[in-house]
Amino acid sequence: MTELASRPRHTRRIGALRLGVRSMVVAYLGAFVLLPLSAVLKVGFSKGLWGFAQAILTPDAIAALWLTLQTSLAMAAINALLGTWIAYALARVNFPGRTLVNALIDLPFAIPTLVTGVMLVVLFGPQSSFGLWFGEHGVRIMYARPGIVLALLFVTLPFVVRTVQPVLYEMDIANEEAAITLGASPFLAFRKVTLPGLWPAIRTGTLLSFSRALGEFGSVVIVSGNIPRRTLTAAVLIYGEIESGRPEAAAAVSAVLLAVAFMSIVLVENFQRGGLPRELA
Amino acid sequence: MCVIAAARAQIFLLLVTVGCAHADRATKRPAEVLTISAFSVVREAYDGALLPAFSHWYEKRTGRPVRVEASYGASGSQSRAVVEGFEADVVVLSMPDDVDRLRRAGLITHDYEAAPYHGLVSHSIVAFAVRPGNPKGIHDWVDLTRSDVEVLTANPSTSGGAIWNVAALYGAAQREPAKTQFGDDPSEALARVLSRVEIMDRSGRDSVQTFERGMGDVVVTYENEIVVGQRAGRQYVQVTPHSTLRIDNPAALVDVYADEHGRRELAELFLQYLRSPAAQRIFARSGLRPADPDIAAETDVARPPVADLFTMDDLGGFSKLKEKLLSPQGAYSRALEKVVARR
Repeated sequence: MTELASRPRHTRRIGALRLGVRSMVVAYLGAFVLLPLSAVLKVGFSKGLWGFAQAILTPDAIAALWLTLQTSLAMAAINALLGTWIAYALARVNFPGRTLVNALIDLPFAIPTLVTGVMLVVLFGPQSSFGLWFGEHGVRIMYARPGIVLALLFVTLPFVVRTVQPVLYEMDIANEEAAITLGASPFLAFRKVTLPGLWPAIRTGTLLSFSRALGEFGSVVIVSGNIPRRTLTAAVLIYGEIESGRPEAAAAVSAVLLAVAFMSIVLVENFQRGGLPRELA
Repeated sequence: MCVIAAARAQIFLLLVTVGCAHADRATKRPAEVLTISAFSVVREAYDGALLPAFSHWYEKRTGRPVRVEASYGASGSQSRAVVEGFEADVVVLSMPDDVDRLRRAGLITHDYEAAPYHGLVSHSIVAFAVRPGNPKGIHDWVDLTRSDVEVLTANPSTSGGAIWNVAALYGAAQREPAKTQFGDDPSEALARVLSRVEIMDRSGRDSVQTFERGMGDVVVTYENEIVVGQRAGRQYVQVTPHSTLRIDNPAALVDVYADEHGRRELAELFLQYLRSPAAQRIFARSGLRPADPDIAAETDVARPPVADLFTMDDLGGFSKLKEKLLSPQGAYSRALEKVVARR
């Protein structure tokens, strides 16, 4: 009897707690995410729909957005592959210095991206020994697209590794071992047994790195050369519009980047929902 | 090297340096405070010599200690920050247009150009830096169009300084000998030089640093950047084109904020000090050209002479030039179109 009587009060308390938590989250996201984002949109459309279209349809803006999309996609593809590989090595393969490598992974987040750019130029610039060698073979790394992709890769390295790695730790290694015992090659065992469970994490990590790369400025402005319609990315174009006193054009191009990031998240999350346990989806 | 590059870079809107904030605590009287917002190039000159000298001069003159809080950054960013509410009493900027922005925003209500030297406190010129011994034989603007020459200049849309570069070329192309060399259309001169540009850095200083890392054969920048680099041990050589543009650095009192803070008298004395022979000599030592003609005459001996120096007024003033050169239909955009079309 007493147990039953206390139950509604209990539920009510949990309900109140949930409501509190939920309103805090909404308030926090509203103040720190939604408000700034809507300010971007407001400024972007401050000259009307026509002004917005004019800002994003200049040949410079189209080329910059296209370049940003291409380099970010290239980076995301490489990152998905190498990030998974690194995560697998860290989680499953015992090699000397593993702890050290594991600690190194997060460092790109700690370095100002500006320094990343300068470092890459010193390493791969046309005057460096790497750069000279590539130059002799007709490949230009810095002040060209490969340099941009390289900078993006460095800046976003931890995303895929750090989303895939914990899933590998959680996963029972026995399944993979069983497959190998049953005659599968280690690669086949990885592909058929381990990889399916990793897909959601790989997708999330790749998506994070892609979104992050769209807006990357500090390193790209140093390594790209910033020639309009050739090596000028959207983030650098936006910076130029702000510096030239055209905040509405800057906001308009930013809004396009936001839309691309948002749409890719929605698309991938939808795609992913089937593959995830319900409570994670 | 990375650290130095990062520290020198100008991405931060406001690098507020509160100089000697605690040193004055010990004195009996609380120090008066003056807030200035300045373009980053003058940082060394100001923090190293000018501000301490001013404090000394002011205290001797009025018996009151003073503390100057200085914020440095790219001229355009500094000007915009003041419009957005960074309450500087005095601005020292690299382009008259950046001061005009404050006038348009209603923050400067007086005619700052009525001050001595038309409101300017220092000058520089647009010049080239080339490799030691000038191996490519670069002497004038027309040499920047050669197919064996790679040119560095900052991006005019991100760097106020680069606007001076483009304006210098645009102006020179309308004067002899460049006029004959380039033909009648100054946008053609821009297109031919721009087609030799592979790297357009964000700021003038970044551009010089890229040159220091070995890229390019020539960098178009301000003379004072070259002087500062040479003084730091860099091996490049300055080449002054036959015709070049005088760069103007204005300083002005921001009426609204100075009055709000009750610092008008102090701010006026600071501006007066900037035009004093002592301060003008400090500018000269830091690579700038003094606004005071007498001090300029005495310090310019060490500077390469300019055969044909023209000013923004010769180009019709900044606002007119902005329309003709930098508007979407301007000569610079037309030149970029040509470069893309010929690529």
